[in-house]
Amino acid sequence: MSDKLKPASILILVALVLLAPSIQDALSKAAAKFVNDSESSHQGLPLEWNDNQVICVVFPSDYTHSEYNQGMTMINDDGLVISVNEDYNGTGACVGGFDGYTEGMDFMMDATRTTGGRLAVGYEVGEWGPYVHTIGGLNANLFTGEFNAAYWNLDHNGEMSMVGIGDLVMSEGDVLVWSITIY
Amino acid sequence: MSDLHNIALTPNQTILLNTVILILIATALYRAERKLDGSDPWMMLCILAIFAIAGRILLDPLPNIQPVTVVVLLAGIYYGAPRAFALAGIVALATNFLVLGHGPWTLFQVVGWGSIGVAGALLSDRLLIDGKLNLNRLAVFAAVSGFVFNWIVSLSILMKTDPSMLIPYVLSGLTFDMYHAAGNILFVAWMAEPLGEMMLRHQTSPNHKAVSEVVTN
Repeated sequence: MSDKLKPASILILVALVLLAPSIQDALSKAAAKFVNDSESSHQGLPLEWNDNQVICVVFPSDYTHSEYNQGMTMINDDGLVISVNEDYNGTGACVGGFDGYTEGMDFMMDATRTTGGRLAVGYEVGEWGPYVHTIGGLNANLFTGEFNAAYWNLDHNGEMSMVGIGDLVMSEGDVLVWSITIY
Repeated sequence: MSDLHNIALTPNQTILLNTVILILIATALYRAERKLDGSDPWMMLCILAIFAIAGRILLDPLPNIQPVTVVVLLAGIYYGAPRAFALAGIVALATNFLVLGHGPWTLFQVVGWGSIGVAGALLSDRLLIDGKLNLNRLAVFAAVSGFVFNWIVSLSILMKTDPSMLIPYVLSGLTFDMYHAAGNILFVAWMAEPLGEMMLRHQTSPNHKAVSEVVTN
């Protein structure tokens, strides 16, 4: 019986190596847990980010991101994708797990940089401070037409920010959400 | 002159290099043990510690595949719970301190491996029969031990997060638990018999019972 153990042990390991990616994928989906509290600014975000600073970018349904186009992709502060919330209201990506940032602009630039350019931010510095026109390759001017205009809108903890990103003061656990607003 | 030792290895090259080094160390230890006079369980435990420490460090590039669990389990079977627990502690501390990172999780690893050594001691009658290891039973036990060890170490996340995160954390780590289990089966299949023979030679007393009477003329 033990003569069969040696080849069996190698077969088990080889089979596991081949099946591991699919198993890990299925387990990650099963393990993903998100905040389910409509009054919380962390609604829909991973439970482990509850006390951390998070930035999300939501793309319009007809101009989804080339990569983050299935649900809301959750990316940790080391750039690794930890889960995808397919029940999120919109598609795009959130980068979270940060602490200690007090300035919105610094936080946004550092957080988006962890995605390796996938959420690159384009902005101009004007009279009122930095004005963000492009995130993740989507320029808000794309939606500007004869009768309408668009901009990247910033929500801070679930409410429209009263100041621009350059003047935003952040606290622990704050959540920033960028989304396109057309008017 | 350029740095002749500045060679960048790919991950596969690193695994191959480390595996070769580990095989060389294991072969040397095996031959060295042959030259030992008499029966010395403490020398055997030193040999096991050296092999387990080297194995854990050198096989670190592989996901959760390392010989420590099986070595501690065998130590429990042959030398009893206290020595197995001590071996678990030394290996965890040395490997973490030297290379892998020491922190509060080290305690959980010590308890995890120590518990497996204790379990091996308690079940030694069923795993070691007439001086011979039942390899199939040992393989199953070693596989289960892989999961148990990882779940004990997973409890360390409770120092930083709340219990609701425990099950998602364990679920997302199940693939690594499977690697640990599969690695343990591999080590049992290929390593348990030669190691067992060595350990048997250095067992001072098969049943570890003290002599209750002194026989005089």
